[in-house]
Amino acid sequence: MTRDRALEIVVVGAGIAGMQASLLLSKAGRKVHLIERASVIGGLATKFEEVFTSMECATCMLAPMEQELLQDSNINLMTLANIEEVIRTPQGFKVKVRIKARFVDAVSCIGCGACYDLCPASAPNEYELGLSSRKAIFVPCAGALPNIPMIDPNLCLRFKGHQCDACKQACMFEAIDFQQKERILELDVGAIVVATGADIINTKELPKCGYGSIEGVYTSLEFERFYASNGPTSGKIVLRDGRVPKSVAIVHCVGRSESGYCSSVCCMYSFKFNHYLRSKIPEIEIIEFVTDLCVPGKAGQHFMREAASGKTRIVRVRDLEIREGTSQPIISYSLEDGDRDEAAVDMVILAPSLVPDPGTQELAEMLDISTDNRGFLQVNKDNRIEWARKGIFVIGCAEGPKDIEASVAQANAATARILREGLLDEL
Amino acid sequence: MEALDSRDEVVVVERHRLLCSHDGKSWLENRIRENSLTHLVIAACSPRDREQIFMEACGRAGLNPHLFQLANVREHCAWTTDRKEEATEKAIRMTRIAIARVRYQAPLEKKEIEVNPDVLVVGGGVAGLRACATLASQLRKVFLVESTDRLGGMIARFEKAFPDMRDVKSYLENLVNDVRSNPRIEVMTEAKVERIIGFFGNFEIVVRKGGSDSGATELRVGAVILATGASLADPKGIEGFDLCAVPDVFTALEFEDMNRRGCIVCRNGSPPKSVAIIHCIGREEKGYCSGICCMYSLKFSRYLTDKISSVQVTHLYRDMCVPGRFYQDYFEESLGDRVKIVRHRKSRVTEKEGRPIVLYEDVNGRENALAVDMVILAPAMEPADGSRRIAEVAGIPLDKEGFILERHPKLATESSGKDGIYIAGCAQEPKSIEESVIQAEAVAGKIMASLVPGRKIEPEVRISTIADSFCQGCGSCVAVCPYGAVSLDERRKVAVVNEVICRGCGNCAAACPSGAASIRHYTRSQMYQEIMEAVR
Repeated sequence: MTRDRALEIVVVGAGIAGMQASLLLSKAGRKVHLIERASVIGGLATKFEEVFTSMECATCMLAPMEQELLQDSNINLMTLANIEEVIRTPQGFKVKVRIKARFVDAVSCIGCGACYDLCPASAPNEYELGLSSRKAIFVPCAGALPNIPMIDPNLCLRFKGHQCDACKQACMFEAIDFQQKERILELDVGAIVVATGADIINTKELPKCGYGSIEGVYTSLEFERFYASNGPTSGKIVLRDGRVPKSVAIVHCVGRSESGYCSSVCCMYSFKFNHYLRSKIPEIEIIEFVTDLCVPGKAGQHFMREAASGKTRIVRVRDLEIREGTSQPIISYSLEDGDRDEAAVDMVILAPSLVPDPGTQELAEMLDISTDNRGFLQVNKDNRIEWARKGIFVIGCAEGPKDIEASVAQANAATARILREGLLDEL
Repeated sequence: MEALDSRDEVVVVERHRLLCSHDGKSWLENRIRENSLTHLVIAACSPRDREQIFMEACGRAGLNPHLFQLANVREHCAWTTDRKEEATEKAIRMTRIAIARVRYQAPLEKKEIEVNPDVLVVGGGVAGLRACATLASQLRKVFLVESTDRLGGMIARFEKAFPDMRDVKSYLENLVNDVRSNPRIEVMTEAKVERIIGFFGNFEIVVRKGGSDSGATELRVGAVILATGASLADPKGIEGFDLCAVPDVFTALEFEDMNRRGCIVCRNGSPPKSVAIIHCIGREEKGYCSGICCMYSLKFSRYLTDKISSVQVTHLYRDMCVPGRFYQDYFEESLGDRVKIVRHRKSRVTEKEGRPIVLYEDVNGRENALAVDMVILAPAMEPADGSRRIAEVAGIPLDKEGFILERHPKLATESSGKDGIYIAGCAQEPKSIEESVIQAEAVAGKIMASLVPGRKIEPEVRISTIADSFCQGCGSCVAVCPYGAVSLDERRKVAVVNEVICRGCGNCAAACPSGAASIRHYTRSQMYQEIMEAVR
């Protein structure tokens, strides 16, 4: 066996970037340990119904990739798993992983869902950003993979001392295992690929955008879930009180001045929202409040033009503020000539900055690599695929905000770097 | 179970709780062996989920995996209704359908073919060079074909690169040197690729040097990378910028040349005191934003302010396009007393007393005139001339803008529609240097993972087959094949399937007027049996 083959790799994060890197490394014959914090894989993109600019169904795009990953014997997927400790060794890294108990046996479970119907405990569904509720035993949404529920021990009555075993009774395959213990695993690997992704900026901390205090104001992620056929409203676009909005404002660049950079995907997904809205509510009035349009690439502007036709206005503004009206949120703003104006709409969708995943800093410390002033992982500026330190590769939005194609490209490029390093070691 | 047992052809019917578990699979293998089964039907879940693992179990038990059929009585039956009795009826019927079908299935054998790990790279710009340097190794040779007499491509004209203002000359020298000095990379300059035929793993290439008849070189490679780059649109064709008559107006590349030569001067020999840089030239006409022009325009104002102490630079822009983690910082740091930005809607350049004048409509709709010593135009990026030619040679499509069409706009921008032919850099879409480099390495990653020296590839076995005796040679199948897998044998006047390229999509079988084309594992008799049982 050559040294090249002996090298195993840890990939952190099973979003698109992490999945792509794992699949390609596996195809090259490497053993991959894919560590995912959530109970399911797919990352942020699983929340989207469709992707720009092709408006392809995101699930149709992702599911084959996820299936391939789940069936790949070279990929050791660990869900509900977190890295505890990383120690540098002469050969690479010793990585300690804590895998939380799922309390459901992954081999026996067939994913029929009989268990959650009978569960008496429920709580807001974090995956749906609290727009719907889930049970103590649950999968985050229909179609999530792997299709194996988990028990939330903080919610489950049994873990609070009650005698409830409703899920166990419901399961025909004896898959429920209240005794399951968390596991600690130690891995010896040659490289670590960090693909921990991004989140949106906390809009509650941006008082001018009115999020959390003014009725009718939503974030882009919440809106994605409203449109999603497997989301909390099964794809109906409705306000919290059940009304169908007649007018919508999409506010671009929310938090851009606070974060200090352009997140590069918000203009595009905001125009995608036009498609969403028009397909469900054809006569809806849409105003896109923009600062600078960022629609780079051969398809971006075509997509914008097409999306913004009909009853859509693109208004270039400064100093935008959202306040509460008598029945609707009111957006007040300065036009380019300096005049102040305002608009009242039924629904406001915020397009907030992309920021690093909240766990990024902690992971950076464990890996002994640094983050930049925005919290993204610091990389060798010479080329952007690069390792922060030898043997560590950063891909996808952990390295900076980017779209799916750029994340996939980095994943493929990191694979080349890892395979190349293996070759060099061998020679 | 009784409903199925009664059929003559059924040897044994058994129930298992969880067949896909470890125990289930070994139980299944034993039962196949003990009963010497010739065919197998499993009524269970979705083939998408589990077909593969059951086929593997068949293989281990000595039963050809294609003599197995999975009836999806879970997703297609049990999970779609609460009406148990009707569902049971349906499940029985679905299982009978599978039984009827499996009797007509044929054992298909996997084949292995040898592959050539070597790679041809077309285009010696930064993307092509980077791909060469990443791919070449002891076990993999790379051929680089460049149409001009030098390597480096468009960026060889730049002094510095945004956003880190790295010195392009030394960066490129190092890269070219890596490529030139690598014995596993064969560089052919002033050469053109004339022929690319074959398929993933086995391409035959003809390269002609110097356009002369000095001879063609034949190469054999396993993969091809098209890195033919881009050029900038000629402002001459764009309204308001037909500038033959106006002095001291430069396109971005002309300005890069002037700057690289070390003297930014006007026609009269003195350095400009005022410069207007107009962004988005040709954006409307092209219909897309090239994504890099704002950034290189800002770079130009840095060149200018670094070298000419008294210069005033005005950026006439539409949208400041500075995406990502680093670009907005670069933008903000580029501004200052000597650099200002003005948003405008429309502009044109004219001349007054030998000086260029920029006439522009500002955001309030007012007309303005700006007299400057020098004007720099930032034109849209467009595909290089070579892209169309090489796409024809390779038999792959371009998009409506003339860039090489990628296989998938999200998941496979580095692959063309044809297996084994890849795209890197601006040939696919306008890109920055860093994006081009990443794509070049992404292509390398794809190739290194799939075209492994010494490893054979297994083509799909459920593919098209065309019966010579029925084929009329009409060519309907050739026209509908999206992979270019079917061709006409001119001598015998019959269609022939390339078994490595064919994916078994079935287009040819549907289009064939004489019934000569069919898909293995989806033959007419198999489908007929399936349907007859379903409607019985």
